[in-house]
Amino acid sequence: MAAARTAARLATRLLERPWLWAFAAAFLVWLATIIFTKGQGGGEILSAALAFGTFSVIVGIGQMYVITLGPGNVDLSIPATMTFAGAASMKIMATQDSMIVVGLLIALACGAAIGVFNYGLIRLMRIPPIIATLSSSFVFQSAAIAYGRGIKIKPPPSLADFTTARIAGFPILAICTVILALVMTVVLHKTVYGRSVIAIGQNARAAKLSGIAVDFTRFVTYVMCATLAGLCGFVLSGFSGGASLNMGAEFLLASIAVVVIGGTSVAGGFANIPGLWGAALFMFLLVTMLNTFGLGAGIRLVMTGLIIITVITVAGGKSTDR
Amino acid sequence: MSKVLTTAVLAVGLALPATAAIADTADKRIALSNNYAGNSWRQAMLKSWGKVGDQAVADGVIAAADAFTTAENQVTEQAAQIQNLILQGYDAIVINAASPDALNGAVKEACDAGITVVSFDGIVTEPCAWRIAVDFKQMGKDEVLYLSEKVPNGGALLEIRGLAGVFVDDEISAGIHEGVAETSGFEVVGSVHGDWAQDVSQKAVAGILPSLPEITAVVTQGGDGFGAAQAFKAAGRPIPLIIMGNRHDELTWWKEQKDASGYETMSVSIAPGVSTLAMWVAQQILDGQDIPKDLTVPFLRIDQDNLEENLANTEVGGVANVEYTLEDAQAVVNAAR
Repeated sequence: MAAARTAARLATRLLERPWLWAFAAAFLVWLATIIFTKGQGGGEILSAALAFGTFSVIVGIGQMYVITLGPGNVDLSIPATMTFAGAASMKIMATQDSMIVVGLLIALACGAAIGVFNYGLIRLMRIPPIIATLSSSFVFQSAAIAYGRGIKIKPPPSLADFTTARIAGFPILAICTVILALVMTVVLHKTVYGRSVIAIGQNARAAKLSGIAVDFTRFVTYVMCATLAGLCGFVLSGFSGGASLNMGAEFLLASIAVVVIGGTSVAGGFANIPGLWGAALFMFLLVTMLNTFGLGAGIRLVMTGLIIITVITVAGGKSTDR
Repeated sequence: MSKVLTTAVLAVGLALPATAAIADTADKRIALSNNYAGNSWRQAMLKSWGKVGDQAVADGVIAAADAFTTAENQVTEQAAQIQNLILQGYDAIVINAASPDALNGAVKEACDAGITVVSFDGIVTEPCAWRIAVDFKQMGKDEVLYLSEKVPNGGALLEIRGLAGVFVDDEISAGIHEGVAETSGFEVVGSVHGDWAQDVSQKAVAGILPSLPEITAVVTQGGDGFGAAQAFKAAGRPIPLIIMGNRHDELTWWKEQKDASGYETMSVSIAPGVSTLAMWVAQQILDGQDIPKDLTVPFLRIDQDNLEENLANTEVGGVANVEYTLEDAQAVVNAAR
C-alpha cells in the first residue's frame, strides 16, 4: 500500500518534470519511424541521433545558461565562434596528432576571447545582448573567412577517430557530453554560481540587492557559453572531416531550439539540462522521420514547424502554473 | 570655350583609333555585385574575379573591376548596393543575385541609367539584363545518364538535394528524376536535403540510411559527396557509387578510393571562375558587340582519367576551377548565336 503510494507520488513528480515532454516526443517520433520501416534500423537511427545530438547539446548548455540570465539575454555569436575556433584550431594542428592538445586549447581560448569581447560590448558599451552578439558574430565570421579563405583542413587522424568512435553503438563523444551535462547540472543547482544565474534570471534587481555579484556572474556565463561553442567547433571539425565556413550555420537556431523545447523558460530564471538531450534527440529524429516518410520538402518544413509548436505548447502548459 | 571643346573632341577622336586595336573599353569600369561569400565556391569565385580583373586592368582592357559583396545575403541589401553602384557611375554591373525577380526594380534603374547589367549563376529575370545561366536540369540528367552507362542493371538511388525552396535545387532534382524516368532500372528510394554542405549532408544521410535497402549510387548536387561517403563509412555500409561535385575534399576522397580499390565515379559542377566569363561578356557588350541576352555556362566535368590533373589544379579546400579568357567568352557567345 505504502509502496503503491510512493510509486504514485514518484510518477506524479516525474510528470511535473519539464524535460519529460522532450524525451516523450523523441520517443514517439522514433517509434513512428521504425513502425514505418517495419523495425529496420531502429538501433542505428538512435546511435546516429546520439552522435549528432551531441553537438546541439554542447552549444545548448551554454545558450541555456545565457538565456536563464533573464529576458533579453541570448548569444547569437555561437555559429561564428564555432567556425572561427574550428578553422583556427584545424589550421594550427595541421593534421599533426601531437598538436591535438594545443589545438583544443586554441579552440577554447578563441571561444573564451570571443566571450570576453561579447560581454565587453554588452557591459562597457551598453549594447543589448542580441545586437552585441550579432554584431560580434559578423566580426568573427569575417575573421574566419579572412583567416581560412574557405580552406578545409583535415583534422589529425587521432582526433577524427576519437570523435567518430563508438562503444557498443554508443558514440564516445555522446558519453563524454552526457558527463559534461551531469557536471553542468550540479553546477547549476548546487553551486553559488549556478544559483546566482537562476536568481538573476528571476529578478536581477532583487539578486543585486541581496548581494549577488550580478556583473561577474553574467560575465562568466557569456564567456562559458562562447568557450563551449569553441569546444563544439573543435569536436565538430574532427567529426565531419574538417572546419568549413558554414559549419556553424544551423546551430544558431538549434542552440535556441533545444533550450526552449527542452523545457527551459525563455523568460529566464528557470533552467533544466536533461531536456537539452531530449530536445536534441527529438530534433534529429524528427528530420529523420520526415525524410524516411519521403515527404516533399515543403510539407517537411511545415510539419517540422507544427510539431515543434505542439511540443512547446504541451510542455509549456505545465510550467506556467509555476 | 567651344573651341577648346572641339579640340578635345578631336583629340579624343584622333586618339581612339590608336587604342581601338586593344579595346574601346579602356576607360570603362565594371563592378561585381555579389550576394554571398560564406562558402568555398564563392570564395574561389571572388578570387578568380580579382585575379582576371586585375590582369585586365593592368593590360589596359578596362579601367576597373571592383568586387562588392553584401554581408547578409538579403535582397534589400543587394538592391541598395546596386543603387550605390549606379550612383558611383560604373559602366557595367555584373550580378550574382540573391533572387531571380526581387532585384528587378534595381536592375531596371541601372539599365535606365545606361548601365550594362550582366547576371550569372544567380540570374535576374529583368529583360534588360543579360543572363549567363547554368543548365542545372541537364546537369542532374547527366548524372543519371552516366550511371546508366556504369551500372546498366540499375538499382536503388539515394538523392541528396540542396537547399529547399531554391530554384537550383528544383532544377537539378527535376533533371535527375527525368533521367531516372528515361533510363530503366533506377529507383530513387530516399531523398534528403543536404543544403550543399558537407556536414548537413552527413547528418541527413546518417539519419535516413538505417531505413534504406542497399544503395547502388548516390546522386548529388555538389558539396555533399564527401559527407555522404562519411555517413556510409560510419554506418559500416558498403560505399556506393557517389557522384561528386568538384570540391577538393570530394576529389581527395575519390583519389584515395581510386588508389585503394579502383573506385570509379564522376564529378560535375560549375567552375567558380564563371564570374570571369561574366566579366568578359560585360566587356564585350561595352565594346559594342552584339551579344545574345541568354548565354549558357559550360559544365566543368571531371572523369576517371583526368582526376589527378584536376585535383592537382584545385586549391586545398577549394573547388575545381577554370578561369575564362576573352576567347572562351567569345566561344560561348558564338555558341548562343
